[in-house]
Amino acid sequence: MTAPLERIAEKLQAAEPLSFDDGMELFTHRNLLDVANLANGVRERLHGDRTYFNRNFHINATNVCVASCRFCSFARLEEGSPSAQTLTHEEAWQKLQRRVDAGEPVTEIHIVNGLHPGLPFSYYTELLAGLKRIKPNIHLKAFTAVELHYYHQRYGMPVEEVLQQLHAAGLDSLPGGGAEIFAPRVRKKICDDKCNADEWLNIHRIAHNMGLRSNCTMLYGHIETLEERVDHMLRLRALQDETGGFQTFIPLAFHPDNNAMMKLPGPTGVEDLRTYAVARLLLHNIPHIKAYWVMLGIKTAQTALWFGANDLDGTVQEEKIYHMAGAETPQTLAPDEIIRLIVNAGRAPVERDTLYNVIAEGDALLPKTPFRRNVNKRSLEVMP
Amino acid sequence: MIESESLVAATLPTHPLPFVGPDLFTSARAANAVRHTLSADRCVFSRSRRLLPTGTWYGPKDAADAYVEDIDVAALGGLEAAMGVGVRAWVGSNLSQLAQAHALGLRTFLRLLYNAGEDTATRLEKLAQVKAAVNEGLITAAVVPTPTDEPMGLDTLAFFAQCRLQLPAVALAADFSRLGHRLAQMALGFGANELFGPIVAERALRVGENANNPALTRKEAAVFIKGASLVPFERLAGGRLEEVTV
Repeated sequence: MTAPLERIAEKLQAAEPLSFDDGMELFTHRNLLDVANLANGVRERLHGDRTYFNRNFHINATNVCVASCRFCSFARLEEGSPSAQTLTHEEAWQKLQRRVDAGEPVTEIHIVNGLHPGLPFSYYTELLAGLKRIKPNIHLKAFTAVELHYYHQRYGMPVEEVLQQLHAAGLDSLPGGGAEIFAPRVRKKICDDKCNADEWLNIHRIAHNMGLRSNCTMLYGHIETLEERVDHMLRLRALQDETGGFQTFIPLAFHPDNNAMMKLPGPTGVEDLRTYAVARLLLHNIPHIKAYWVMLGIKTAQTALWFGANDLDGTVQEEKIYHMAGAETPQTLAPDEIIRLIVNAGRAPVERDTLYNVIAEGDALLPKTPFRRNVNKRSLEVMP
Repeated sequence: MIESESLVAATLPTHPLPFVGPDLFTSARAANAVRHTLSADRCVFSRSRRLLPTGTWYGPKDAADAYVEDIDVAALGGLEAAMGVGVRAWVGSNLSQLAQAHALGLRTFLRLLYNAGEDTATRLEKLAQVKAAVNEGLITAAVVPTPTDEPMGLDTLAFFAQCRLQLPAVALAADFSRLGHRLAQMALGFGANELFGPIVAERALRVGENANNPALTRKEAAVFIKGASLVPFERLAGGRLEEVTV
């Protein structure tokens, strides 16, 4: 190892937080394996071989959106546009009802939406309340800080009241999207008309102070510099020092297809792995690093389990946002497939709920189905 | 000079493949050390064109490598017939055809087929066969580990490392059209020192029916290799290597 990396290793040994310069050294260090080795050491010190996943599905209640994020392939400006969709409550509730009727042991619904200009606030509270009526113990991980900020502006309520009403209706935690990159230079270019970094962070601060947990994210691999990536992560770390409410950090790989930034190539495999490794090292106070397989691809997500990640997210089901941006991964992964990926990576699968309570691990999780060949990348039938 | 035999003995996984385990970094470091001995930080690619079974070419006219895949040879009327229309390289997994191609003076790329779920014994047997072919001088271009189904990420990387350790003196190529761009680039950090796949002068946008076309331009290939902390070199016609600066 080089001298700078040895100094970083000493800091890690002493449980000393890494600095901005350390982050830059990690991002620019020539030997990725050395960085990965450090990240893996931290990962194993925190979690051993345990690798978490959960059974969830997504609801995107509406993709009608007044924002104009340049990296987005999901949003449509108005109702009636091609591929614009707003679910009725019944349509949304039916997604859970049919899973309950089929006996699927799903524990979480991930709900994110466009910023619809015409829906009343009650649309969202009733959406949540209806889901809870169907399955009271389902965890509703819903609404990015961007959406919450929009509701605060659109409906004229303080953020606290927005969160209180949603929480009363069934909101259990926040998914953490919409952070993109905090640097104003980047936000101005790629997502100028939604909440800024301070507003995003403050909404999470308020949520944490209310007792709600949340995840946090970073969209990387577009126009941001390495300095801006490090800055983004350190700002998250600072809020975590204050509130302790972040559960998981999720680096999100930019996908260039079908959006206004499609001339950009997107991040490479090596860049993905390095970002994961650096995240694990910089964010000492955020317990989990999640490899979101939908965006990374299954192969890279699996590899990331040795580069700092300890969570593979969930079965997902019905993911639209990144598939409309060109993600070629399946739209769902059966639990047995996730388990197989984790076991094949030499890690120990642990099924969790949203709050990282263990649902099952060990022999109870051994795959019961044979390995599937010739996987269809576009769709995968839901395995029982 | 690193003794590859002792290195192999020291770094063979203690668990049966595809389990990766804590040997991953050890294997990768050892593999990269072997790669460095062979080719320093150089990673070579060449613009190539492939003779399709229909008799048409896919790839740039000024490609350095004009090759045929073993599965297409019969449809083209045999290796000599293919050579008659300009083929100068052979790519495949068929060992008897490999010998024939070598005898005819073609540059030879041997595809080392693997699939997720194979055990260590099977993998080592395959590597032993390839090693024998290397020792006979039959592989004049590169060994190309090629998945026969959807490859696992870590299994593939661990396999590349083991291939490098077992085959220290031959070029090891990552086929990005079979592995995907991400995994192929990662493989360059696990012992591979060549990039294989459709590298063209210009390519169409990846939209519509062309959405999944894996082809890279020369510049993209060079950036790809640089991203893996290696130095890109292009193999030109005649075998000359030229560093590509981007």
